[in-house]
Amino acid sequence: MEFLATRLRVKFSMFKRLLFIRGAELLVLTLLAAMPVLVNSTYALGLLTLLAIYAILLIGLDVSVGYLGQVNLGHAAFLALGAYAAGLGVSLLELNLLSALTGSLLVGLIVGALLAIPALRLEGPQFALATLSFSALTVITLNELEAWTSGAQGLSINRPHLFGWSLDASAFYWLCLILLAAVWLIMRNLLTSNWGRAFEALRDSPIASDAMGIGVYHYKIAAFAIGAALGSLAGGLYAFNFLYLQPQSFTYELMVILLLGVVLGGRKSLWGALLGATLIVLLPNLLSNRLVFQIVSATGLLFSIVTINRHDARNKPFQTFSPIAAMALLLAGSVLAQNIEDWRKAIFALLLFAVVLGLPDGLIGFITRFLSQLFRIAPPVLATPSPLDDVLKTKLAHGETLLEIRNLKCYFGGIKAVDDISFNIHNGHIHGLIGPNGSGKSTAINVISGLYRPTAGTLLLHGKALPHGSLYQVARTGIARTFQNLQLFGELSALENVMLALKDTYRCPLPLLLLGFGRADERRAQADAQALLALVGLTDYARTTAKNIPYGAQRFLEIARALARKPDLLILDEPAAGLAQPDVQRLIAIIKQIHQRGITIILIEHHMDVVSELCDLVTVLDGGKIIAQGTPEEVKRNPQVIEAYLGAAVDTH
Amino acid sequence: MLTDFSIITQLTISGALMGLVYTLIAYGFQLTYATSKSINFGQGELVMLSAFFSLSLIDRGLPFAVVVLGGLLFGTLMGLVVERTAVRLALEQKNEGWILLTVIFGLLGFSVAENIYGRDDRPFPTPISSDAISVFNISITPLEISIALGVLTIMGIIELFKRRTLLGKAFAAVSADRDAAELMGISATRIIMLSYGLSGMVAAMAGMLVAPITTVGPTMAAALILKAFAVAVVAGLNSGMGIILTGLFLGALESLASFYIGSGWREAPGLILLILALALRPNGIFGHAVARKV
Repeated sequence: MEFLATRLRVKFSMFKRLLFIRGAELLVLTLLAAMPVLVNSTYALGLLTLLAIYAILLIGLDVSVGYLGQVNLGHAAFLALGAYAAGLGVSLLELNLLSALTGSLLVGLIVGALLAIPALRLEGPQFALATLSFSALTVITLNELEAWTSGAQGLSINRPHLFGWSLDASAFYWLCLILLAAVWLIMRNLLTSNWGRAFEALRDSPIASDAMGIGVYHYKIAAFAIGAALGSLAGGLYAFNFLYLQPQSFTYELMVILLLGVVLGGRKSLWGALLGATLIVLLPNLLSNRLVFQIVSATGLLFSIVTINRHDARNKPFQTFSPIAAMALLLAGSVLAQNIEDWRKAIFALLLFAVVLGLPDGLIGFITRFLSQLFRIAPPVLATPSPLDDVLKTKLAHGETLLEIRNLKCYFGGIKAVDDISFNIHNGHIHGLIGPNGSGKSTAINVISGLYRPTAGTLLLHGKALPHGSLYQVARTGIARTFQNLQLFGELSALENVMLALKDTYRCPLPLLLLGFGRADERRAQADAQALLALVGLTDYARTTAKNIPYGAQRFLEIARALARKPDLLILDEPAAGLAQPDVQRLIAIIKQIHQRGITIILIEHHMDVVSELCDLVTVLDGGKIIAQGTPEEVKRNPQVIEAYLGAAVDTH
Repeated sequence: MLTDFSIITQLTISGALMGLVYTLIAYGFQLTYATSKSINFGQGELVMLSAFFSLSLIDRGLPFAVVVLGGLLFGTLMGLVVERTAVRLALEQKNEGWILLTVIFGLLGFSVAENIYGRDDRPFPTPISSDAISVFNISITPLEISIALGVLTIMGIIELFKRRTLLGKAFAAVSADRDAAELMGISATRIIMLSYGLSGMVAAMAGMLVAPITTVGPTMAAALILKAFAVAVVAGLNSGMGIILTGLFLGALESLASFYIGSGWREAPGLILLILALALRPNGIFGHAVARKV
């Protein structure tokens, strides 16, 4: 009876949550669609059309700024490219409306993918610079290709027909709105799937993404190209809205306004993009009326003061007070400045400054927190764990050779980090790899797992050569690893960290996924990941962001994530480093469980008690060479090993 | 044929001299990148604001030496302000928020300049003559020579400071390994401040050197800064003196491009080189790769 009541309560809270979210979406869409009927004003209709266009644009920008976490200064250029593609498509090729818009979308997708290829290897400032140069280059090109674009004089366009209808202002608005709704649904399906998680993972740790078999390169290209495609789709609509294009409209200033929209609205949120678009559309009105602007600045100041207490106690005084100072400056300016419009750029700057420091989740983060407290909306209920046997099938292991390492060498300049080592890893064994610091253990497994390219030597897994120098390709052969210096996806929850790495779980092809058919995969992934979290004892941390869980638990999370790869060979790189004694005991128990499932393990470890208790065979390295091999007991008695550890008996630390 | 050759030589030389200004601004990027792996995306506005500031000193009739010193001081102060408001917090939190914050800071500087000094370009009077002297049929102005001398002098002084003084050695230590330097009792925060101060000073120098040629206006550094980025990235942000060659080369290239393809394309070679360099050699031609560690 009680069980049934709990089930019902869970169902009800899920239902309530869904009702609120979907209900809000439907309500806003209906309201927006009804606007032309309710409000009879050409001016308002113009603003609404622009709102729909900017919302699409910002949803695109949010993919790179929010999910990839990169400062993208090139989005205005994709708006321009889409706009010109549509304009030229109509004037030169006489395309109809839909083909012109499709053309815009494709131009963005292709140019975005091309730009992403050089931008691929780049992070942070280099990425910002590449996009900045691209956008400057685009404006120059549009200005100079006068034969087609009429350069700075501007390009006039006619709005083509849609299936033979000529669209009036409200029909065009509805078209923009339909496209926005479609983009919204598609992007929601994409971003809540494993793709969305992968985009975020790239930002937190590209190395771990590769090691978990998530190809950094194609996800990054995909993310950037999708964002660019949405930008240029918005560009096509922009062209048919204004019917006149000038390269000067797509300047750096526009780019900053777009960033302001995304950041102020709220990153990683479709609602945030919609809110940001609303703000951008209203900005000119805001600046043209002094009284309105003064009221807004005063509200902003008040808001920044009121929200002060909500801030984290860890914040520095600078972080707490500088948003208030910026808003106070804004208010002072709104009273003192002669012409507010002249100070436009400074106003954007101050607003953006205050938001970046004071409201990192944007307005939508604040509103969501507020509403979910007000209506007591619980976070989504997690799936119940799958049976562990379904997730990690027990493998039969007969001790035959799994991994063969032959004459492996890895030199860095003159340093012979690994100098001609050969040994075999037997299927079903726990194989210890020990040695003093700098003996080459880490280098050896970095070569095996594909992070480093070997100078010479052969690696055979199941008798087949392993790919060299690619974490991603090695990961796909059935080798998974953890990292000595933790490489978790810090902004994702513990559960998401594991879900992301799951192998053979996501079967829905991309086109169907975009249409919303990926939910079954998603539920199964959640259930499987829960099972792995339970295996390492982290069920309670499922929802916690990885960077906020305790250190020991982070080490266990790395193991759960590696297991999600369902590996034949698991490499554990100093899993006990820094663990307290009770955690070490837990670790031993976990490793034993993994071993029972027939997974072969290479264990690098300094704790000799751990090694003695777990390992079937131990290989000892010193100075890049193998100095001993055998059972833990044999190795401990080996005089060479004792000498390598500074002449003392191997300590049982 | 001979005239063609002399045109090319002329374009190359005057372009290359201009390219040294890009080198100088790129040097400012290197200084801060070395200590903190960050650069000021609003550096162009810093160049422009410093030029405006020294112009207002000239307007007051101050002697040229005072103007130069005042400009350098102003640039240094602005560099420190950028470090405090836009960079420090993000570096402490180990995130890349400084990119957006320095962009924002630049925008604010631009707005302040356009409202206080006006949107028009104004000439920058200088005691150095711009009458051409002809050497082997190539005409060159003392002004252009002063740019080259100014750039090399200030870079030389800072390099000497880095190599010969204790503070300079601390600078090198933080650049090599921030954590180790801190363990040796060097305050990395102070050294990063120092690097931003120096970077601001270098930007001010660039502003004053280039102002007599470009005139002074809010947009004077918009194109300049893109090319400085290009030099810094093409040479490599940790490339040391490779930026001098790269600056000379890029300056010459764009002067030839604008003559032969059209002046509208003047900025294009730098931007294309920048994207290519990022694609093919992200560490730059003269830079060195840093091995990934886990």
